[in-house]
Amino acid sequence: MEIDPTEHEIADLGPKIKDVDDADELREMLAAEEDGEDRVPVKTLIEDRLETVEGEDEEVDPGDADLDDMTVADVANMVRDVEDIAVLEDLLEREKAGQDRKTAKSQIEGRIDTLRDSDDDEDEEVVIEDPEEKYPDLDHPTADKKHVRALEDGDYRDMWVYCETQQGQLIDVSREMLGKARELMDGYNDEYGESESVIAVLIGDGVGELAEECIAYGADRVIYLEDERLDRFRHTPYTRIFCDMARNGGHPFGREDRAEDDWRDYDEPRYTVFPATNNGRDLSALAQAEFDSGLASDCSDLFIEPADISNPAKTGKPGETVEFQRVLHMKRPDFSGFEYSTILCLDKPGREFHPQGASVIPGSFDVPDPDPEREGEVIEHEMPLDDDWFKVEVTDYDQLEGGVDLTGNEVVVALGRGIGSDPTEGIELGLDLVDQFEEADLGLSRGVITASYQFAGHVEQYVTEERQIGESGQEVEPAVYIAAGISGAVQHKVGMDESDTIIAINTDADADIVDFSDYFIQGDLFEILPELTDSLENGELDIQALAGGASDD
Amino acid sequence: MTDDYEHYEAVVVGAGPGGAAAAATLAQNGVETLVLERGVESGSKNVSGGLIYAEESAPYTIDGLFPNFRTEASERPVTEYYLHNVAGRKVKTIDLTDLHEHDTMWSDAVLRRHMDSWLEDRVHEVTRETGGGLLTGVRVDGLLREAGEIVGVTCEELDPIKADAIIAADGVNSELARDAGLMDWEDPEEWFQGVKAIVDMPEGAVAERFGVADDEGVAHLFSGDLFEGVRGGGFLYTNDDSLSIGTVFHLDSLVAEEAEPHELLDALLTHPLLDQWLQGEYEELEYGAKLVPDSKKAAHPSPHRGRLMLVGDAAGQMQAQGPIIKGMNHAVSAGALAAEAFSEAQTRDRPAEAGQRYETKLRDEGVMKKLRPTPYKIASAVGENDAVASMTDSLVDSSLGKLGIKAADRLGLLGRSFNSPFVMSVMPDTRTPYVTAPTAIAEALGTPVRAENDVEPPDLADRIGDLTYDVGDPHIELQDNSYEASGAAVAACPVSAKDFGGGCYRDETVKTNGHEEHLVSLDTQPCVECGTCAIVADTEWEHPAGGKGVEFKQG
Ligand SMILES: Cc1cc2nc3c(=O)[nH]c(=O)nc-3n(C[C@H](O)[C@H](O)[C@H](O)COP(=O)(O)OP(=O)(O)OC[C@H]3O[C@@H](n4cnc5c(N)ncnc54)[C@H](O)[C@@H]3O)c2cc1C
Ligand SMILES: Cc1cc2nc3c(=O)[nH]c(=O)nc-3n(C[C@H](O)[C@H](O)[C@H](O)COP(=O)(O)OP(=O)(O)OC[C@H]3O[C@@H](n4cnc5c(N)ncnc54)[C@H](O)[C@@H]3O)c2cc1C
Ligand code: SF4
Repeated sequence: MEIDPTEHEIADLGPKIKDVDDADELREMLAAEEDGEDRVPVKTLIEDRLETVEGEDEEVDPGDADLDDMTVADVANMVRDVEDIAVLEDLLEREKAGQDRKTAKSQIEGRIDTLRDSDDDEDEEVVIEDPEEKYPDLDHPTADKKHVRALEDGDYRDMWVYCETQQGQLIDVSREMLGKARELMDGYNDEYGESESVIAVLIGDGVGELAEECIAYGADRVIYLEDERLDRFRHTPYTRIFCDMARNGGHPFGREDRAEDDWRDYDEPRYTVFPATNNGRDLSALAQAEFDSGLASDCSDLFIEPADISNPAKTGKPGETVEFQRVLHMKRPDFSGFEYSTILCLDKPGREFHPQGASVIPGSFDVPDPDPEREGEVIEHEMPLDDDWFKVEVTDYDQLEGGVDLTGNEVVVALGRGIGSDPTEGIELGLDLVDQFEEADLGLSRGVITASYQFAGHVEQYVTEERQIGESGQEVEPAVYIAAGISGAVQHKVGMDESDTIIAINTDADADIVDFSDYFIQGDLFEILPELTDSLENGELDIQALAGGASDD
Repeated sequence: MTDDYEHYEAVVVGAGPGGAAAAATLAQNGVETLVLERGVESGSKNVSGGLIYAEESAPYTIDGLFPNFRTEASERPVTEYYLHNVAGRKVKTIDLTDLHEHDTMWSDAVLRRHMDSWLEDRVHEVTRETGGGLLTGVRVDGLLREAGEIVGVTCEELDPIKADAIIAADGVNSELARDAGLMDWEDPEEWFQGVKAIVDMPEGAVAERFGVADDEGVAHLFSGDLFEGVRGGGFLYTNDDSLSIGTVFHLDSLVAEEAEPHELLDALLTHPLLDQWLQGEYEELEYGAKLVPDSKKAAHPSPHRGRLMLVGDAAGQMQAQGPIIKGMNHAVSAGALAAEAFSEAQTRDRPAEAGQRYETKLRDEGVMKKLRPTPYKIASAVGENDAVASMTDSLVDSSLGKLGIKAADRLGLLGRSFNSPFVMSVMPDTRTPYVTAPTAIAEALGTPVRAENDVEPPDLADRIGDLTYDVGDPHIELQDNSYEASGAAVAACPVSAKDFGGGCYRDETVKTNGHEEHLVSLDTQPCVECGTCAIVADTEWEHPAGGKGVEFKQG
């Protein structure tokens, strides 16, 4: 007896007993406990375990099982675990000699067949058969999936990055992907002694002007297509255009009259990278399906490395490990969320899986520092755009977020909790001052927005988070920023300290804002704001001139 | 539909010391265990003093469950322990090392971000092997019930999860304990509020200024008149290269005195006595706060319901033994005992018995007795009676009392009673032990400190500015914004203050139709999630969503 239960607390017996598999040993332990402390819970514990272990022992040994005693279901269960064909054949003989049940025999024979098959499998070369040939009688041999758009012996080069835009600007993830692509391809070219490129793809209305920016962020070439009908993302035209760009002229599944690009001599991209945004997810799925390749969506990291693969479906050589070269490793959280999986998109015998495609979660990579000196080639892609692709018309849309855009103003008048003694009047005074300028608007500190102040109806609409300036609001850099009754907390400061000229109005000369203002007017905003408005109205004061004369320190 | 929910044998909510101990013990017993933690990383939400104790009498210790804990996860061991009684500049110091060492195998200072994230890695490893794992950034927001029975948890970030056992190790202000109806957040008397600053020390300064070797450390405790009469005290613990300096006050007393916690902390930081250690330099690495349950009143005698078991602060298992604060160690014991209880119940195929087994173990292993000592009930019946309290107060204050103190000191009685674990654990919650007696002792026996301490701790705006936040949706809603109902939070919230516009709670006088109203407004962005306003204001209080809110780097 290895474990003497009387020497243990019940607490540590539980786990220990789980490892005891020998019924005799357990009986010995039970006896020891009865002679010793005789604790009821301990005995139950041992008895429970004994039951489990003996239950296991009762399993029949197929070698000397008495088939006459067994139902067909028992036989079926028993043979499922038998791996040895000789034992099964012996069973079959005995069944024939005994009850000779057809159903029992077919269970045993079935198991023998399975084992023979799997034995055979092991030394067979994987034969690649065209599904149409394999099942000539079926008109859709593999349901609807026809592997018809993958290339045979295709040439693949370069990393293509789809750069999404919003409101005529590259979105951050586009810059992040370009930076990552640059880093990956530099490494790749070093490793393999190649000179493959990063290609940025721009599709939209007036996107050509972003080409230089793509180059600054790391692209070697930018391919763009602009058309005013492309001002919003649409599935059909965007997918068609992306694929037409990617497939060189003469591609078996491409547009017939597409000319060959003079700048390249390959059929399709080696790698494609898309943003995992709403639009990018759609486009990546559609485009990769059109290429008949795979897609690793929502990746959080990418790297290029060789991979050792032993899956015979991929290598075509059972039992052998083959090193695949230039494999894009696409890391993504797996479905449980616990772990990361690395997805590989590998060719297999008779079937190529290219481009190796990924979509990337925004924020996974850093935005690189742009290098305005970088040089690259900009190519406008030409192709006919079929009117049919635009049959769906966008009649109306809403822009979420940013209802009030305070950026781009010449002057921002911002109010803080200094308006507390009469909040409604404070807002009115601020608005009066705003009216004195061509391009000006009202901003607020968070302190005002989250206060319990009650505002009269006509100014209430102005007191919303949309006007908040600072860390968790908007960042502005107008020529003139007038901060009235704002203390200058660091979270507010980061939203406005890039302003050219900062004018602070505060009763407290020690307020933090004084430290980073160009002009400080000590006093009550309820007096100062109307004075400012008046002197502007009368032309006595020219704030812009003031701004021009201010130094930044 | 519900049958589609993912199922685990056990779900542990929270990966502090209680959750880590529970998960590791479950995994050791082969129980499939999923751990959910709301912080971006374990420890990012946690603040402690903190000295973690390994008690000789405890059924489990943290290093027993996690080998190498002391070399890899903790700071300095505490080898000296002093209590300073303060009256103005006068200080009488009593060596409490004996009390500290009573029943103590070892005791180390810890910083929770480092400690808990170290535990997280280990817990993830062992739970993964059981088919579970540890997920961070997931906030459990309630209990999943079927036909009135608790069968799992619901989360903001994931689909509901079912489990045969749910161990709530979600700390103070446990939303699960509240959901199950086991704990309420009503009575300020059941809580302390702890506030702490972590202060940087130049290389080698700890050894030099405290006179300790690399493997030694000191704890200094402070009580007396430096906290405006608020009941509680201060502490200073040495870490490897920083100091943890903080205060712990009875919440009801804080509220009654309308004291500002950050000012009380500053009063300690700027006391002349601290000059010998700060030496005119002060760089604060982090400011943090958290409620602390008082087990004498809050520890639930039967902390389970159905498949749910509460451990650690969630069950109120935080023992204040005089100046010694023991929460982490009891969370470890309770977590492991709950795990053990479930594993045994499961082995016997009677998982429903886990809760009862856990309760029995808490009692049999002596944990409950430490948390709710019987003598306290008697002592408090007398000691907290107002009349008696003021009588003892005035007695201590009188010259006769002081004579007594001198005599007691000469006889060595003073040190002896402070060093008695029994006296310390049954001390009544009146001003006598916290304020009056220490002040009297210092006045009678103290030596004046001559040094000047001119360090300037940062103001609240800078303290908030130095913290890291990932702001999400507001997680606290004011139910009643009248000053009467919720005004106490303006002072009591550790990141708010009267006349400070940048805090969570702000005192406002609002004019409406000619008359004035005294209101408070709330902005949760600077919130450090201490839980105070859940008790002292009229709010709808929840923790922020997974990964959102404040992120402590030290803890
Ligand atoms: C200033 C101060 C000083 C102290 N000093 C000491 C000391 O010196 N010694 C000592 O032993 N104790 C001390 N304590 C008490 C000690 O910190 C606690 O008792 C101890 O941390 C409790 O451990 P726990 O595991 O129960 O809870 P916690 O450590 O609070 O852990 C709870 C965990 O659950 C997570 N969580 C919470 N809600 C959810 C949710 N809904 N979903 C998912 N996760 C959630 C949290 O993020 C956290 O990680 C001190 C406390 C304070 C504030
Ligand atoms: C994570 C986080 C994010 C945050 N994000 C933002 C953000 O994006 N934007 C933001 O603004 N804040 C933000 N805050 C809040 C910020 O910390 C401050 O609380 C806030 O900016 C204070 O607003 P305030 O200056 O209006 O109020 P206060 O700090 O109360 O200042 C009021 C000022 O008005 C002066 N004053 C009083 N009466 C008068 C009078 N009659 N005339 C003239 N002056 C007067 C006072 O002297 C004082 O200086 C954030 C906080 C956190 C923690
Ligand atoms: S708002 Fe409430 S929970 Fe947050 S820091 Fe203040 S008192 Fe603590």
